[in-house]
Amino acid sequence: MPPKRKAAPAAGGASKAGRTSTMSTPGPATPRSLDSSMMSEAEEDDDLNDPDVTEAQKQREQLLGMEADEFINGWDLGSSRFQNQTKEAGLDAASAYFGKRDFSNLPLKPDHMNRPLWIDPLKGTIVMERFNPLSEQATDFLITIAEPKSRPTFLHEYALTTHSLYAAVSVGLDPKDIINTLERFLKTALPPAIRVFIEQCTHSYGKVKLVLKNNKYFVESVDADMLERLLKDPQIGPLRVHSSEVTTSYAPTMGGLVIPGTKNAAGVRQAELEKANGKPAAPGDAGNEAELYATLNEEDDDDDKTAVHSFEITDSGVETVQKRCLDMGFPILEEYDFRNDDVNANLEIDLRPNTQIRPYQEKSLSKMFGNGRAKSGIIVLPCGAGKTLVGITAACTIKKGIIVLCTSSMSVVQWRQEFLKWSNVNPDDVAIFTAESKNKFSGNTGVIVTTYSMVTNNRERSHESKKMMDFLKGREWGLMLLDEVHVVPAEVFRRVISSIKSHSKLGLTATLLREDDKISHLNFLIGPKLYEANWMELSQQGHIAKVQCAEVWCPMPTEFYDEYLRASSRMKRTLYAMNPRKFQACQYLINYHEARGDKIIVFSDELYSLKQYALKLGKVYIYGGTGQAERMQVLENFQHNPDVNTLFLSKIGDTSLDLPEATVLIQISSHFGSRRQEAQRLGRILRAKRRNDEGFNAFFYSLVSKDTQEMYYSSKRQAFLVDQGYAFKVITQLANIEKTPDLAFATAKERRELLQRTLVDNEKGGEEDVETDDLFGKPGRGKKRGGFGGGGVRRTAGTLGELSGGHDMAYIEQNKAANKTLKKKAKDAQQNAFFKKLAREKERNRK
Amino acid sequence: MPRAIRGVLIECEPAIKSIIVHLNSEHNDIIIEDLDESHLVVKENMVHLLKQKLEDRLKETYRPEEPLVDSE
Repeated sequence: MPPKRKAAPAAGGASKAGRTSTMSTPGPATPRSLDSSMMSEAEEDDDLNDPDVTEAQKQREQLLGMEADEFINGWDLGSSRFQNQTKEAGLDAASAYFGKRDFSNLPLKPDHMNRPLWIDPLKGTIVMERFNPLSEQATDFLITIAEPKSRPTFLHEYALTTHSLYAAVSVGLDPKDIINTLERFLKTALPPAIRVFIEQCTHSYGKVKLVLKNNKYFVESVDADMLERLLKDPQIGPLRVHSSEVTTSYAPTMGGLVIPGTKNAAGVRQAELEKANGKPAAPGDAGNEAELYATLNEEDDDDDKTAVHSFEITDSGVETVQKRCLDMGFPILEEYDFRNDDVNANLEIDLRPNTQIRPYQEKSLSKMFGNGRAKSGIIVLPCGAGKTLVGITAACTIKKGIIVLCTSSMSVVQWRQEFLKWSNVNPDDVAIFTAESKNKFSGNTGVIVTTYSMVTNNRERSHESKKMMDFLKGREWGLMLLDEVHVVPAEVFRRVISSIKSHSKLGLTATLLREDDKISHLNFLIGPKLYEANWMELSQQGHIAKVQCAEVWCPMPTEFYDEYLRASSRMKRTLYAMNPRKFQACQYLINYHEARGDKIIVFSDELYSLKQYALKLGKVYIYGGTGQAERMQVLENFQHNPDVNTLFLSKIGDTSLDLPEATVLIQISSHFGSRRQEAQRLGRILRAKRRNDEGFNAFFYSLVSKDTQEMYYSSKRQAFLVDQGYAFKVITQLANIEKTPDLAFATAKERRELLQRTLVDNEKGGEEDVETDDLFGKPGRGKKRGGFGGGGVRRTAGTLGELSGGHDMAYIEQNKAANKTLKKKAKDAQQNAFFKKLAREKERNRK
Repeated sequence: MPRAIRGVLIECEPAIKSIIVHLNSEHNDIIIEDLDESHLVVKENMVHLLKQKLEDRLKETYRPEEPLVDSE
């Protein structure tokens, strides 16, 4: 039994898959296979195989990817940059066991019991004791200066990174204060390496800016010498656009900004009213006041405008310049001063007055608009916690042209609907750009909703979409909203960002992780992680459901295990999914929860077992090959029909499926060790409708076959959720399982039959799940990919008598799909008694 | 003429037994007698080798934790 692994941030993933190239092959342990289907709107193959992307472009992209990797490694706390301090020789008898990680030279403070923090000088990891009385204060502090890594009940882990420190400075924290506060909370003295790291990261912050003016990128600085230095740099110098000169203009000024939908917004509005009436502003909460002062100070600031100098750089050079500057110790600020932007037209958009955004949404947005300007970055919120509303509120704050990129055409439609639902924007101003519809907004600015693949597709476009693309490229956008940023490979982002110009970018996701460790590239491409919600806190506040997680161990019967040992890896997966004990456990859990009145979703990646389970248990199922009408019918029945309480789903249901009725989730087979899939699946029950009932719990079961590789994958998959504070209970024995009525495969004979059938059915390699756009996309499109190889026609020798039934051959459909009975029922139900009577009378008249 | 082979009785979980049987199927040189679901008699001189092979096999199934230095 492997010990439960803590989340090593993408530790094993990349190396295990043994990939050397950047994105070329969708390896089994990476979530790429899913990604490419997400992108399948118009380009169905892997992006890099796209024949229309020129060789040079491909090479450039690969080069950029490699550079990014190199850079990330170089700017690591562990690199020699920070670790050149001489080590004190404080060795003792136990030192040998800790190797490089012996920190006994850091002396504990005498009152260390009262201080909550530990720090790892090599990695910048901060460990906080949650049970310490000071932990609340420490949490507030750490959230501002570091990124949360892991938040279980008692010990929280945070990481100090360059980006998190920049974020801290940008909201006005003084580096000295950071060091002092850390010193106060730490149990040991602050290691010198960390002190140097903090100082280096913060002293040069904000000196250089990257701004977008008239659709061209400029590097801007108050200090002319600084620009000279940058221009002399061998990497940045050539990227300068040659015709351009170093120009001088005046810096914009800051001022109070109010995010709509927050309490502050109401307060400020009221205060303004009072001011208008000649009364002094009522003393509000601290933040409110500060913002009012800022507004008041605005006029003073106008007097001493500072001169700024800038030079233009090429569009393609943006990423390189960003990295180079960061490397030189002058991180480039990318902020959008949208209130002083007079060039781009304002968009009439505001949240509807009755919209109240939740406290954590407010917090995440205040990180984005921390100093009155829009910072680019990523906001991480759990599934079902209202990411869309965060995006829309950001749009309502910036009030400029907005471009929204999502993963599928269905979510395009959803985004548009949400925009209309939450804001007062004119419906004509929210346009959709997909393969089917290519609208433009009516006014001179507006919102465009489209998919990643529409804007990155380099192939032959229709005339209309080409025109549309030129339109998109020719404009400056105020805000680019990137939905589900984790699914899109970095290359695609590079293409999007280099072709569409936007002042600020906001990425939204629930699970900021990929097994291939490409997440860190997003830091350059979009921006740092601005905010990550604490799942446990949200569920305690009732914004998402409380979930009990359990891992059920199902022993493999001997005959199955014998076969498992001999089987190929493909067959192994089928075998551990088809484990009859697992089947029984599934049956037991379904019975148990159906009796409680729960609605259950069963997930299976393995298509063969999905069908077998669903047929045997007489439940409805949906997979990639299910037709559109049938899907809708099944889903509707699951939602409203009290007789249909269990739904089997293949991996097409992992994301973008909203079923608030579901309260129980059972997982019988899954995609190797994908942490993201686990988290996304859990997301299906987080928005449970009944979450606010007293004592309500949603349940998440993961069925695992004992003594197989599944055990290893399972513990790896859970890492992300464990980091979010979920605890998995292990169930080795389900009570009274043998007393279940009609228990499937109870006898050895039945089990052997099942084994034989499984082996025979899967001999030719089972049917692959047809993945379409998403659950609601056009079904069956993916089938074409198979080509002519696996046609359904077979030629066999036989006699005519056999076919006519003269021999002992008969046809009977034994395991009828429950989907079909649904259809039949629906037909019957349509016939009202009245119409039946009418039909009978007609019948009679005919006679 | 009766022949005697020194053997060792092994008691284990059915899954482990399956693995041993699978290992045996290569050369047929480990197991003397297959008694029931959880009992086996194996040749005494093969016990050491068997242990090693079993260890390797289990490693394939459960990838072991990396040593402390590499772990995060």
